Amino acid sequence: MIRKALFCLTALLLLLSCGQEDDHDMEKPEIDMSGVSAFPLTCDVVYRGDSFTFKALLTDNRELGNYNIEIHNNFDHHSHSTDDVDCEPDEKKTPVNPFIYNESFRIPDGMVSYQAESSIHVPDDVDTGDYHFMIRLTDKSGWQQLKAVGIKVRDRN
Amino acid sequence: MKFCYSILIFLLCTQLAAHSVESGEFSQSFSGQSRLSLHPQHPDTIGRTIQDEDTNPIELDEVIVRGDRMRNIQMKSAQNIVRVDKSYIEDNFSGSLMQSLEKIPGIRAMTIGSGQSKPAIRGLGFNRMIVTENGIKHEGQQWGEDHGLEIDQFSVDEIEIVKGPGSLLYGSDAIGGVIQLRNNYIPTEQAEGNINLYGRSNNESMGVSGQVGGRINKWYYKINATYMDYADYKVPTDSIQYYSYYIQLKNRRLRNTAGRDRNAGFTLGYLGENFRSHLLVSNINSRSGFFADAHGLEVRLSDINYDRSSRDIDLPYHSVNHFKLINNSAWRIGNITWEGNIAFQNNRRKEFSEPVSHGYMPVPPDALERQFDKNTYTASTLLRMPVKDRLSLQGGLSIEHQHNKRDGWGFVIPDFRTTSMGVFVYGRYHISDNLIISSGARADKVKVHIDSYRDWYQTPDEQGSPVYKERAADLQKSFDSFTWSAGLNYQQGRWMLKANIGKSFRAPTPKELGSDGVNYHIFRYEKGDNSLRAEESYQADMGIRWQNSVLTIQLEPFLNYFPNYIYLNPTPEYYEGLQMYHYAQARVIRYGFETDVHLQLTRQLSLMMQSEYLYAEQLSGDKKGYSLPFSPPWSANFSIGYRPGKGFLGTEGDIVLEYRVTGAQNRIVPPEEKTEGYQLLNLSLGRSWDIKDNSIKLRLQVQNLLNKRYYDHTGFYRLIDVPEPGRNVSVMLGFSF
Repeated sequence: MIRKALFCLTALLLLLSCGQEDDHDMEKPEIDMSGVSAFPLTCDVVYRGDSFTFKALLTDNRELGNYNIEIHNNFDHHSHSTDDVDCEPDEKKTPVNPFIYNESFRIPDGMVSYQAESSIHVPDDVDTGDYHFMIRLTDKSGWQQLKAVGIKVRDRN
Repeated sequence: MKFCYSILIFLLCTQLAAHSVESGEFSQSFSGQSRLSLHPQHPDTIGRTIQDEDTNPIELDEVIVRGDRMRNIQMKSAQNIVRVDKSYIEDNFSGSLMQSLEKIPGIRAMTIGSGQSKPAIRGLGFNRMIVTENGIKHEGQQWGEDHGLEIDQFSVDEIEIVKGPGSLLYGSDAIGGVIQLRNNYIPTEQAEGNINLYGRSNNESMGVSGQVGGRINKWYYKINATYMDYADYKVPTDSIQYYSYYIQLKNRRLRNTAGRDRNAGFTLGYLGENFRSHLLVSNINSRSGFFADAHGLEVRLSDINYDRSSRDIDLPYHSVNHFKLINNSAWRIGNITWEGNIAFQNNRRKEFSEPVSHGYMPVPPDALERQFDKNTYTASTLLRMPVKDRLSLQGGLSIEHQHNKRDGWGFVIPDFRTTSMGVFVYGRYHISDNLIISSGARADKVKVHIDSYRDWYQTPDEQGSPVYKERAADLQKSFDSFTWSAGLNYQQGRWMLKANIGKSFRAPTPKELGSDGVNYHIFRYEKGDNSLRAEESYQADMGIRWQNSVLTIQLEPFLNYFPNYIYLNPTPEYYEGLQMYHYAQARVIRYGFETDVHLQLTRQLSLMMQSEYLYAEQLSGDKKGYSLPFSPPWSANFSIGYRPGKGFLGTEGDIVLEYRVTGAQNRIVPPEEKTEGYQLLNLSLGRSWDIKDNSIKLRLQVQNLLNKRYYDHTGFYRLIDVPEPGRNVSVMLGFSF
């Protein structure tokens, strides 16, 4: 009797373990900055008092979520960008009035591909120097992709 | 025939005592007494009193106490239990207690570097399983991913692991199981002791632990102390790639993962005829660094010269001190046993990292990122009595109060106080000698009081005016729970069958109820939900065992259902630049099994095979169809043991070669990463020497013999793609006197 029960149980477990195929989303969204108009790329310079436009192609296998752009200073050289090439940092310094930018943007529902364009204004009284331009992108399932770009804030002249 | 060891033999009037050694023999001359009582120290083996009508001195030629210890342990409970002793820990000694126990199927260590780990039973860790020491629930900061278990593994005499619901005896949190640690060894000599030296090549660890103890009439004492120091551990890679960041490693060492442990304990005990009491005072202190180049999820560069020394502990690091005072007492009046336990614990944990500004948070004034100071007071009582010949009953009452206070510039959980109370009854009925049924029920009440927390810096609100944002609101909640369990044990010839079904629960943690802010550690925004209900779990377990003189086969399947599993759900939303994670509840199903096969080919040669498998799926909610985070992949262990009984390994020596294969984990849930499978070879070699009354034990272990580069899906550093330690040789030298 026990032998039989044991056999049935093993068979059941095997059946359960090799059951259904996963049909849920297992892929992260992508931030594509290989396009000719993509901006900013590593070492790109933005000018205080001016506006610039962030441009990237965002894609996902199922459905895109939202994206966020955050800019913070890297005066202490606390980390480096995700690009293979790093640009030569300026001298380390202590922030006085660093540029802080943090905005989230909605992507319309149901998109698998989206050309992101956001205009960002750099106030004219912020510190110049090394900054990190962080792009974060989610998809509807909660996967997140991250891209960090080292940029510089300079004066136009 | 299996020999019983550590049977305590003592004379009722004099308290003269002797321990049987591992071969089953003991010697102690007793004279002038009429009653010789054999009391096995393990309560599940048989006890018997030999009475001699004659008042003359008697000499027993030989007393053979027969019994199958394994079988008796297994018949004691309808749940799947594993029991190991001190020598098991010594033979499998690793960087932390849970790592030493990892060979037990169904048990996992979630490692945090080389010297710390968290326990998990069948994939359930954190607040879904509990660790007890001498019957008292160990209370640290179990919820934290980078918080290890504060236990000195040298001080543990015996471990019993219950796989399956344990709420009946322990109340909230004991969903996945219970790891019961005991320091119940009672010295037999007036003065005795042992000293252990430990060394480990991979992280250049050095440790020393000593224990002295003694027994004088009805009193006994034990003192133990441990010191361990380790350097940064080595991984079989020159660089780590994380989100396409390249981190170069110097000498293949994981920067700043060094650490040290300093532990001490004192026990005072009284062992009378009908009353015994055991007081334990212990203090665990450990400090270890976190990998310097990526803390949490952020890749960091620092001015600290980490490569200056591989033994120093720089920022970021954490330190924890756990103080414990436990008293266990028991009275026996006739057939009735009354137990009382009281305990106080203080857990003080500090996490330090370089102060840096982030978002609207300015540069903090010091390095104290987080501090948790938790006091826990526990009291419990238990009454055990046989009602009729075949029925025995026990009932108990327990109460626990904890107060957790936070400090530091990083906020993860608010201050809280919880009070919990529980009452239970449990009965066992012997239908026949081979068939036992058992059942119990328990009622619990858990009250949680969370204090409000506001940021220490200002953040602009919707209108742009700066405010000190409230990250946790004042909250009072109460959770009631009714849990139960029913099981049977059946034994027939070579077969043994166990079945158990039980309900268990846990009250939501203050983090799940009240968090509302940035977890700077993992760089995400976590939002609690104060409407969460107590998490409930129903689990059916079976244990099937077949045994003859050479072969033992054991299969332990389980099926587990949660109507409202609490999980942290990553959403597509952003808040303050960080991805929002919401605590939510979903229906979850989990099932799996463990197997254990032991074949004694010849007197010298044995083959062992252990395996485990687990499947989990969320049946509702946002992550329907996904697995649960930290689900361990399947794994199997094949080992061959050789015990020559003579020659260079001595009479007790052995050599074990182990092959471990672990499957890939592709069933993941955001934000996890898929983890590839791997295969490992381990080697273990031990022998002992007896020198007069003293003995020396030597154990050599080689882990990851082939220096394989692999990832542990449940490890803390998996998050940032750090492989597990490379080849390691460890030596344990023990001397007992």
